[in-house]
Amino acid sequence: MVKRIAIVEDDPDQRANYRDAITKKGYSVKAYGSRQEALEGFDTELPDLVILDIILGDEVDAGFQLCRDLIARDPTLPVIFLTERIGEIDKISGLRLGAWDYLPKPISLDYLAERISSLLRISEARAAGDGTDSPSAKRIGDLTLDQDALLVSWKGHRIDLSGTEFRMLAKLVRVPGHAVSYETLMNATMQSLVTNNTINTHMRNIRKKFEKVDPDFASIKSEYGFGYRWSVP
Amino acid sequence: MKLFNRIRGPRLGTKLLLWGLVLLIVPWISYRQLLGMERLLVQGQSQAQLLTAEGISTLFNGREDLFNDLPVSIQDYESLYARPLQAPVRIDGKVSDWGEITERLLRFGTDAEGNIQDGGFELVLGERAGQLYAFMRIRDDHRVYRNPEYLRLDTSDHVRLSFIREDGEDGRIVLVFQNPGVTTAYRMEPEWRFARTGTPENKVQGAVEETDTGYTIEFRMPLDMLGSRRFFGLAFADVDDFDTRTIRAITQTLPKAGKASFNLVVLRSPEVLKIIEGLGYSGARIMVIDAQRRVRAETGSVNITAPDKSESDADWSVSMRRWFDFIRPILHRVVMWQALDEIRTVEDYGATADEVIVSSLAGDPIALRRRLGDAQEIIMAAHPIVSRGTVLGTVVVEQNIDEILAFQRVALEQVIVLSVASLLVVFVVLLTFAGRLAWRIRHLRKEASAAIDQHGRLKTSALRSEMNAGDEIGDLARSVSGMLSKLHQHNQFLENMPRTLRHEINNPLNTLSTSLDNLAHENPAIVDSKYLASAKRGVLRIGAIVQNLADAANLEESLESEELETVDIEKLLKNYVANCAVMHKGTEFVYRGANRPVMARVSDYRIEQLLDKIVDNAIDFHRANSPIKVQLDVFRDHLRITVANRGPTLPPESEQALFDSMVSHRGADAQNRLHFGLGLYVVRVIAEYHGGSVRAMNLADGSGVALMVQLPLASIEPSTGRADTPRSALNANGEGLIQASR
Repeated sequence: MVKRIAIVEDDPDQRANYRDAITKKGYSVKAYGSRQEALEGFDTELPDLVILDIILGDEVDAGFQLCRDLIARDPTLPVIFLTERIGEIDKISGLRLGAWDYLPKPISLDYLAERISSLLRISEARAAGDGTDSPSAKRIGDLTLDQDALLVSWKGHRIDLSGTEFRMLAKLVRVPGHAVSYETLMNATMQSLVTNNTINTHMRNIRKKFEKVDPDFASIKSEYGFGYRWSVP
Repeated sequence: MKLFNRIRGPRLGTKLLLWGLVLLIVPWISYRQLLGMERLLVQGQSQAQLLTAEGISTLFNGREDLFNDLPVSIQDYESLYARPLQAPVRIDGKVSDWGEITERLLRFGTDAEGNIQDGGFELVLGERAGQLYAFMRIRDDHRVYRNPEYLRLDTSDHVRLSFIREDGEDGRIVLVFQNPGVTTAYRMEPEWRFARTGTPENKVQGAVEETDTGYTIEFRMPLDMLGSRRFFGLAFADVDDFDTRTIRAITQTLPKAGKASFNLVVLRSPEVLKIIEGLGYSGARIMVIDAQRRVRAETGSVNITAPDKSESDADWSVSMRRWFDFIRPILHRVVMWQALDEIRTVEDYGATADEVIVSSLAGDPIALRRRLGDAQEIIMAAHPIVSRGTVLGTVVVEQNIDEILAFQRVALEQVIVLSVASLLVVFVVLLTFAGRLAWRIRHLRKEASAAIDQHGRLKTSALRSEMNAGDEIGDLARSVSGMLSKLHQHNQFLENMPRTLRHEINNPLNTLSTSLDNLAHENPAIVDSKYLASAKRGVLRIGAIVQNLADAANLEESLESEELETVDIEKLLKNYVANCAVMHKGTEFVYRGANRPVMARVSDYRIEQLLDKIVDNAIDFHRANSPIKVQLDVFRDHLRITVANRGPTLPPESEQALFDSMVSHRGADAQNRLHFGLGLYVVRVIAEYHGGSVRAMNLADGSGVALMVQLPLASIEPSTGRADTPRSALNANGEGLIQASR
């Protein structure tokens, strides 16, 4: 069955580019230019994945509102923000609304397609599997990492990470105890424009999420001037 | 040097005070005006006196009769002055009620030494209410009283009066006495032997008293009995022998030479006196003097007395006057440029009177101002009395000008006191005003200069002080505030610029990026085209530029949300430099550390970011094959990270400007990297956020550049510093410890 992707983007050029590229990857694509249009479309049927811009026309928070609506209708629906608003606060509020990922513009369409397929796969895996003990899960010490379902748990506690954070963590723990360079981590974000600072911010967010369930969490170490390291106690 | 730079001119207060000195012109002008007024008043007074003198003199003009009643040559006569008596005199033979005029008794019948002989007498004449009074103190060794049985009247001691009657005839009256007490007067035959009539002359009343040495006799006679010319003679006939009763001696006032039979009774000419009596006025004395310089009439008096000390009622007025006397000459010298006392030398009254009288008798009216004694000044005016071309005499009007002077002094005192007081008040007011003004301006200046920090960033968008003031300072404050708010808007526009730019550019950039992707997909042939690759690089580059700009613009804001941890900088640096060697192959890094834990409260990856920028900078500028040295020094309360490289040096003036945003010294030979001069700006902002500072300097040997970052040490003692803040406690068992223990 062909997966249905909805794109909400007010700029016609970008909308057309997304639509063309994603259609070419074999998805059924519905592209909307405004919140109203999108809402009408969603009333008819809910897509399998939604890509949202935040600013739609004059409505600066239209993307957030749409996200809220969509999650209310289907909490498992994968929602990706793809926006020029790349402030930390926007990102946090976007993820808090239940979005799976928050991607800054400009984006490479190849990366976008890859993400879409990855998220759809994860969505499927989540729908099929029952959580932590999926066969694809990988255990490193106290950490359990399910690549397919995008699920992470630490000492049995589930930790919610965004898609980008998940990929960075996955990259970090591939060879535990080994330092991972900023460059490697940048590639893992699958974004075209990443600085050390971006990596640091992501790492700090990940660390905080772990500390929330385990105040003594200390496995992510800084390698100043190089990158990060997952230390095994 | 610094002092000179700071003082550019007098401060506002000094200026106002200097301007306030202009007020000194007030006492200056007042003093001049007062002097002018004094001169005017004195002149007016002189004029008035002269006019008075002239007016009076006109009354006498042509009245030779009033002046010719006295012989022209006074030497021919022994003149008998009849002095005006102040109080009524009782005819009782006693001198006690005559007042002080008896001090000037005339003596007759004296020997060569001036002692009165037997039969001689002392005499004083007085005049009051139309009567001529006489008092005689007679020396007589043998008193012989009259025996009424003798018809002849020259058989006892007696007094002879001879005069010229009104009708021009000779008048002869004898005073005889039978015992001490009332005398009897008779008109006499020319031989002075018998009375002309048997009845006594009642108009002449007298009394006699015995004394140890003789008699005292007091008598009076109406002036009417004397003619207008008042020739008058007086003699005492002494009879010593009771039996023979012959006259032993006659002592008389008559001239010895016998040129004339009579003495002269010089009265203040009653007619003259009558004329001027009504003209006298307070404080003035009017004298009529004849050509022989004899005072013919006088009325009024001038108080030529020292000012009564007791009169000055209050002590302060005395001290005031003393002070004033002290200040006056100084003031005069300051204002008039000459000594005060030039015209005010003390002069002899007599000399002045002489000068006036001589001058006016010569026919010239004159008025003189003279200072007599310490506190007396008079004006003496004289006008000649003329008749048919000759000067009969002169009228002298003399007046004390103390009142004018007193007025002047009081006015002067007031002027000075008022001036001093008003000067003081004005000074105080000016000083207060200036102080307040200066304070306000200073305050405004402080606030205005505090509105922009040392890096030129706007701290506030409006001023608070002076905004409601209505004056020019208020205007200034408002205009500065307006400027600030406009600047603030502009600044905000500039600050938001990178964000807005990123926001606005990212959309078309995304369009471009996705379009390129689609283009490549549509035309697989061009996937490997170098143009596609360069277009994609271009897109990335623009994105990076915008991203960097936005990051730098947001840096301070995002630093605020950073959490500080206590980190071992030694470990961090060691780790960092080791990683640098891995990351930057081909560049040698040398680290010289402190070899012991160096704890500081920092955000570790911000320090990493800071190091990234400095090391990037060092790598960019280092000479190939020369090492980059990183050094950590620890001082008492701070640490210093030095990153030094060999290579081109900095222009001397740019060592600090280097750390401002958008300043780059890469010049034209920019490499293919992103440089907006933001790197070192980021270094500075991060260092300052951590309470530190940053400095760039050329190496001493000129071989390269060193960048130094100073950061405060975390103090272990709980009493000091940031280690003790709640935030540190929060993190104490979190990342902080983990990082520290690594």
